[in-house]
Amino acid sequence: MIVSLPPRWMLFTGALAALALAVPPFVIARVRATPDPNRAVHIFFDMDFQPKFRPQSVNPLFADGRAQRPSVLGTVARGEAGLDVHLSDGVVNGKWADTLPAGMTMSRELLDRGQQRYNIYCSACHGYGGYGDGTVNKRAMELMTNSAGPANGTSWVQAKSLHDPLVREHPLGMLFNIASNGIRTMAGYSAQIDTADRWAIAAYVQALQLSQNASIQDVPPEIRDNLKKEVK
Amino acid sequence: MSRFLFPRWSNLLLPTIILAAATIPVYAIFFVAYGLSPKTLEVGYQPEQPVPYSHALHAGELGLDCRYCHTSVEKAAHASVPATQTCMNCHTHIRPESPKLAKIKESYATGLPVPWIRIHKLPEFAYFNHSAHVSRGVGCVSCHGRIDKMEVVYQNEPLSMGWCLECHRNPDKNLRPLSEITNLAFDATAELSASEHQALKTKFDINPNDNCSTCHR
Ligand code: HEC
Ligand code: HEC
Ligand code: HEC
Ligand code: HEC
Ligand code: HEC
Ligand code: HEC
Repeated sequence: MIVSLPPRWMLFTGALAALALAVPPFVIARVRATPDPNRAVHIFFDMDFQPKFRPQSVNPLFADGRAQRPSVLGTVARGEAGLDVHLSDGVVNGKWADTLPAGMTMSRELLDRGQQRYNIYCSACHGYGGYGDGTVNKRAMELMTNSAGPANGTSWVQAKSLHDPLVREHPLGMLFNIASNGIRTMAGYSAQIDTADRWAIAAYVQALQLSQNASIQDVPPEIRDNLKKEVK
Repeated sequence: MSRFLFPRWSNLLLPTIILAAATIPVYAIFFVAYGLSPKTLEVGYQPEQPVPYSHALHAGELGLDCRYCHTSVEKAAHASVPATQTCMNCHTHIRPESPKLAKIKESYATGLPVPWIRIHKLPEFAYFNHSAHVSRGVGCVSCHGRIDKMEVVYQNEPLSMGWCLECHRNPDKNLRPLSEITNLAFDATAELSASEHQALKTKFDINPNDNCSTCHR
């Protein structure tokens, strides 16, 4: 039997249609494999965008575009007046405090919390051990020793070792104040860390200092012998 | 007048029609399932940000913890994008004159926020809460991918309802100890055994919840 074919134009259109069907899979595969600078088109808006403001969203009614309004200049929120200078500045009777503020007690939990927070916020510069050897400090010191002069106006001061004899003298309240307001070229962290956590960090820094400058007398007598054996 | 005769080739029409009727629905299903799925449409959204800030450098190479910048992630529903002050902690002294940081310096001087472009965004009828996940053993990497390897952040997961439920119905293998929440290199599925996952589930008291009112309130 002779297979008789339809006219040319029909075959041609058919082939074209089959080819066209092969295009979408390629497009889909490509879209899946590559990043896209545009958000997906919204055909049905449903209730995806509602006339309300979420945290950090934009409100065009204000000149700075912030929907979250910063507090009005010269006003103080309840409980944030800083009347308890021990809690908010680390000062008692005009001197650096040696103790935690009222309501906080020294405990294992407090030190663990302090360690965790220290590792998040301070270790980048001061290092996990407190020797001033954090990754950011290293990178910044490299920029300072650039052969063509400090890159892009870098002016870094070595992050102080927390085991520096002078720093070891700092009372608890002063460490708290440094964590809050910074010192010389170091920025303060009161905007990023809340008050209780800054006290926990200060307490942990003292524990860290003690750990790196401890003598056998600081070890409880019942485990001293064990420790001596381990060292040998 | 001659009668109209179907040409011989029209015998081919019937098999062609049958073939088309069989393949086109399959094709259409494929098109909708793959082409219109959030995995195609939503994943991979990577807008160009106003400042060429790199997570690969800051969170990867320098090893900054996510919470150094996204401070509210453990406490609140919303994970805050950092204020300019946070960048200036370091950049007052590190490369302050770099042209790449010009917009940050400008924002610091004027007090106007940097117009970062929002990437991950649920429809506003859905309720999501970071602290409920992050403080109960679900790490950033489960929902955002390897941010610490991204020069420019892109969306790595579909964030569709099906995707949320997939984990809510079977959260075990996504759980990790709280110390590894921001450690994106930690692979909870590979590094923990089934019994360790079970222990974490008991510890955090996790009861998978797929009531509509959990997320539509
Ligand atoms: C961005 C890097 C950086 C981070 C993060 C950082 N510091 Fe510092 N810190 C420095 C630098 C730099 C100095 C030295 C400042 C100078 O001498 O000008 C310093 C100095 C100090 C000192 C010594 C002050 C003195 O009397 O000499 C203490 C204590 C200290 N930091 C505590 C902390 C604590 C606590 C944190 C965490 C909340 C922290 N730092 C986070 C960079 C940093
Ligand atoms: C030095 C500060 C900094 C650190 C550290 C940091 N981020 Fe970010 N992150 C930003 C900034 C700024 C943006 C907004 C610009 C952008 O999208 O790149 C952002 C955006 C994001 C976004 C996208 C937000 C959106 O719009 O949807 C995610 C997700 C994210 N970060 C996750 C992480 C994770 C996970 C880590 C820890 C591995 C981390 N970030 C560490 C500063 C930081
Ligand atoms: C803890 C310190 C730290 C913080 C916080 C920080 N950076 Fe950086 N940033 C660095 C270091 C270190 C470098 C590397 C400099 C180098 O070696 O080139 C860098 C590099 C950069 C560069 C590249 C500069 C250039 O010219 O190559 C940009 C852009 C940048 N950061 C943006 C930001 C933004 C935006 C933020 C705030 C969301 C931020 N950084 C927060 C430490 C920090
Ligand atoms: C269970 C999944 C999940 C986990 C775990 C998770 N995120 Fe998210 N993240 C989301 C979703 C969903 C959004 C979009 C939220 C919205 O649109 O309301 C988002 C948004 C964000 C944003 C943009 C700001 C916002 O809140 O909308 C940042 C920044 C962010 N995440 C950082 C982080 C960091 C850092 C971690 C780890 C500490 C983390 N996320 C863990 C799902 C998750
Ligand atoms: C990787 C796993 C995972 C993913 C993905 C995930 N969740 Fe969850 N979610 C959890 C776990 C685990 C809990 C804690 C369960 C519990 O409370 O017993 C939780 C709790 C919640 C809660 C709080 C429930 C309560 O009782 O308060 C909400 C709301 C929520 N998820 C919404 C979402 C939404 C919306 C998405 C998708 C955008 C999502 N989740 C994706 C694991 C996940
Ligand atoms: C774990 C959280 C979660 C639970 C539980 C949940 N949803 Fe959803 N739902 C979502 C999210 C997130 C979206 C948005 C997905 C998207 O379109 O990006 C959504 C979208 C929807 C939509 C689509 C709306 C639209 O216009 O696209 C409907 C309808 C819906 N949900 C109904 C339900 C019902 C009914 C239940 C209870 C059986 C339920 N959801 C339970 C998270 C949840």
